[in-house]
Amino acid sequence: MSIHDLKRRGIGSVGVRTPLIDGVEKVTGKAKYTADLAAPGALCGRILRSPLPHARVLSIDTSAAEALEGVVAVCTGADCKTPFGVLPISENEFPLAREKVRYRGDPVAAVAAIDEATAAAAIKLIRVEYEPLPAYFEVKKAMAPGAEPIHAEKPNNILREVHNEFGDAEAGFAAADLVREKTFQFAEVNHVHIEPNATLAEYDPERGHLTLHTTTQVPYYVQLNVAKCLEMEESHIRVIKPFVGGGFGARTECLHFEIIAAMLARKAAGTVRMLQTREETFLAHRGRPETEITVKLGMTRDGKLTACHLKATQRGGAYASYGIITILYTGALLHGIYDLPAIKHDGWRVYTNTPPCGAQRGHGTVDPRAAFEALMNEMAEELGLDAFAVRRINLLREIPHITAYAQRVMSYGLPECLDAVMAASGWAERRGKLPKGRGLGLACSHFVSGTTTPKHWTGEPHATVNLRVDFDAGITVLTGAADIGQGSNTMAAQMVAEVLGVDWHRLRVISADSALTPKDNGSYSSRVTFMVGNAAVAAAQDLKRILVEAAAKKLDAPLDAIECEGEFFRVAGQDPGLPFSDVVKAALIDTGPITVKGTFTSPQEFMGDKKVRGSAIGATMGFCYAAQVVECSVDEITGKVTAEKVWVAVDVGRAINPLAVEGQIQGAVWMGMGQAMSEETRFDQGRMLHANILDYRVPTMAESPDIKVFIVESIDPNGPYGAKEASEGMLAGFLPAVMDAVHEAIGIRPDALPLTPDRIAEWLDAKDRRRS
Amino acid sequence: MNLLPDVRVHRPATLDEAVRLKAASEGARFLAGGTDLLVNLRRGLGEPAALIDLTGVADMGSIRRNGESLWIGAGVTLADLARHPDVMAAYPALVEAALAVAGPTHRAAATLGGNLCQDTRCVFYNQSQWWREANSFCLKKEGDKCQVVAKSDRCYATYHGDIAPVLMVLDAEALLVGPDGARRVKVCDLYRETGASHLTLAAGEVLAVIVLPPLPGWRAAYRKVRIRDAIDFPLAGVAAAMQRDGDVIAGFRMAITGTNSAPLAVDAAEVIGRRWDADAAAVVAQHLRKKSSVLRTTIVGPAYRRRVIQAMARKLVDDLWGEA
Repeated sequence: MSIHDLKRRGIGSVGVRTPLIDGVEKVTGKAKYTADLAAPGALCGRILRSPLPHARVLSIDTSAAEALEGVVAVCTGADCKTPFGVLPISENEFPLAREKVRYRGDPVAAVAAIDEATAAAAIKLIRVEYEPLPAYFEVKKAMAPGAEPIHAEKPNNILREVHNEFGDAEAGFAAADLVREKTFQFAEVNHVHIEPNATLAEYDPERGHLTLHTTTQVPYYVQLNVAKCLEMEESHIRVIKPFVGGGFGARTECLHFEIIAAMLARKAAGTVRMLQTREETFLAHRGRPETEITVKLGMTRDGKLTACHLKATQRGGAYASYGIITILYTGALLHGIYDLPAIKHDGWRVYTNTPPCGAQRGHGTVDPRAAFEALMNEMAEELGLDAFAVRRINLLREIPHITAYAQRVMSYGLPECLDAVMAASGWAERRGKLPKGRGLGLACSHFVSGTTTPKHWTGEPHATVNLRVDFDAGITVLTGAADIGQGSNTMAAQMVAEVLGVDWHRLRVISADSALTPKDNGSYSSRVTFMVGNAAVAAAQDLKRILVEAAAKKLDAPLDAIECEGEFFRVAGQDPGLPFSDVVKAALIDTGPITVKGTFTSPQEFMGDKKVRGSAIGATMGFCYAAQVVECSVDEITGKVTAEKVWVAVDVGRAINPLAVEGQIQGAVWMGMGQAMSEETRFDQGRMLHANILDYRVPTMAESPDIKVFIVESIDPNGPYGAKEASEGMLAGFLPAVMDAVHEAIGIRPDALPLTPDRIAEWLDAKDRRRS
Repeated sequence: MNLLPDVRVHRPATLDEAVRLKAASEGARFLAGGTDLLVNLRRGLGEPAALIDLTGVADMGSIRRNGESLWIGAGVTLADLARHPDVMAAYPALVEAALAVAGPTHRAAATLGGNLCQDTRCVFYNQSQWWREANSFCLKKEGDKCQVVAKSDRCYATYHGDIAPVLMVLDAEALLVGPDGARRVKVCDLYRETGASHLTLAAGEVLAVIVLPPLPGWRAAYRKVRIRDAIDFPLAGVAAAMQRDGDVIAGFRMAITGTNSAPLAVDAAEVIGRRWDADAAAVVAQHLRKKSSVLRTTIVGPAYRRRVIQAMARKLVDDLWGEA
């Protein structure tokens, strides 16, 4: 870093704790979310949902609803014959059911009416005749021979089976001093993004254009899917993402309510406001599936891993969604964290008559990583080894490292992460010496910094950012990236501020509006900082070049003599130079206002290896690494586990905004805590019992431990200013860490999550019975 | 957002007016903080002809001494109840129970009367209209079959209020005001053990005041089991009060919530005059087992709730004995 850089470390610069650029709007209530948008005269959209988990739809009679005064449009499956889905290879969901319903809550018909009461009355007037079919809520029953296929093209109800082996697992186990195998059960969890699903759809019948404001992480996937289902030109559909209250993966694909709102708006030739209840938001699901993991590890006497065999079976729900990727990820992310000579992976993604699962923060890795790390801890204990020592002996030996799955590890701060949490938690002095009912546990985890193989549009840049400069010398950052609270608008602005060295307040960001901003794949797989960040840097560098040229011309000096510091351009050593606004005016004088563009495309060598089957999934340019120690207490009377304190160290490459990074890390650890401690979906014969946030137990402030964050900066050679992913990789580690802490506290090794008091009590009772 | 049914709202200024309005409007419901009732109405659990908002009734929100007794208006919010000096000084168990209800924002609105008169709960009942309809409804509302106990002729929805059991062990009374005047009943007599109509108040009656007697020499406490330390209703709750005279128990009362369709007193007078020891604990455990009837009305299964209420009751009385 030069002396000039050091001098101007102000708000907005890379590495400076910078409040989110749109934070004030949010905390003052000024920010408009989809449901807040004024739309006088908008019709109310409502969806009729299937009361049965699996049935043939024999007939739908909408005549009484259509005849009701105030009803403007009624849609059914007959209005859309094109299925949608996030993966081009498994589009099998209809916005409104055709022929069959596959989960309790599957949309069947929809109405647009002048008000909510009329829409509700109209829904009640729709008559649907069903022929019930056998329904399956457990994978074993869905996979059993003779089971009724939920989708005709998959007679065994298996969406995707995966079988892979890298290295020689049998030889690895044979070489081990200790081989252990264990099965873990993970409950299904949901994102519980705080803003329920909503879409405002406006159809202009004169021009045949549609505008959607919607709660999405992927505005351009919404545009694509709505265009397909409504058989419209993509360019006739404008998708705008207003402020969004979280996503966590729930909104990384176009969802039924968005298409239904569009269908109703077109049919009604007007505007439809489609607000979903919390129950409907739960029904749209896309969370982490109920998963059974059987993991087998081989270890030498000194803790070195010799082989891993992991089997994952997921209850995927009624439609494909991201399922194929999720099951592949359970294997892909066994790689890249430890030096592991042999990895065998079997996976089954199964269709069931429950709401479709999808992507959720830590996509595909959380449950396998938890099982893996939990068994690693258990085996370490059996061998009399310290959990940290076992991690250290298995660290990757040399960086760069190419995994057996063809992923390139260019930066690796896991060793420093281990050091940081070991020291901070007082592990050496405290582990094993805590009073009964209290324990410490350790685990590591990692995650990709964006997936380098896009699901659509191969050949396009991964990210594009435009910068627009006008005579007022303001800079507008235009990005398609969807800020859903994670801070991508702030990140993009920081990249530009850093390159140009301008005052933070000179920047404004316009994002995620398909009419204004360059197309972006969306906010998922932690791709945005890495990819959009790099594109923003490229755009800013281009703008800087133009400005330096203008300054050189104006100052009558050669290009390489121009230096810019703060908002001044000058010939090196000469004062006072030209202020930024004068340079902008000079640059624009002949051309008028300018818009520059920066793009980012992942180099081919980071996109997997064609020789390694499945390696397109899990291909990335860099991994975020995390180590965490959790301290917990267990009340043996109530069986209640309390997370007392967490120390988490994360290699984020470079913390562009340490304030936001810290928040993301705490949020992810906290989300892991929810899954570990109390969250689970519950069904009774396909009936969702948990469709509210009283029965679906997201932790509250009262359960939130102090989460001490340590940022490790390994400076990735390809990340923008060295940055990598910073909000998913640390989630998984909480689960096995608290499982180990519970073991220290009460001598029980949990093999099922969440660790609710009833489960703990049952294990305690079983332990007492064994003892007596 | 679920639609709240169209409803006329009255806001009387006096208790008499409130009672008169109730008598004049069949199917009207009293409304205070709304933290229970409005949530239910949004789910289609009731379409009252009118709501009579009691928050404007003078005096319902006051706490005052009346001789030896403490009179607490039913309209006192749980937040105010928990920080009132007289309540804190004389009835710390009541403070404990009030602070165990939901979260701070609920307690700022929720009232003592509303908490006591809250509806019973069940996983088959606290669901949307669509959900219940798809499930052929249930005995508590619109249906003819209990989803919890298939062949039952009564509803098994569970009472989950935190405050009633504490008032019961404090021997509190409720002042009810109706068209025919006022009457006082023991708090335990406010309830009957049937989920669909668990309150004994007559159609026109309103719960106006809770009367707490002086309890010299008694110690009381409340314990609640839940998964989260805020928001959650009790999976099981137990209150106990004890008067200790040297090495023997001079007075003892216990009440439970979250287990049955009503908060129930556990009769354990047998332990009076004895030491609190393993034998006495066994007697209480047996009575508790007989009295509590935990069924699958919550997402958490009944086995745990049965186990934990015993463990918790034992710990609670151990502590009271130790402190007394």
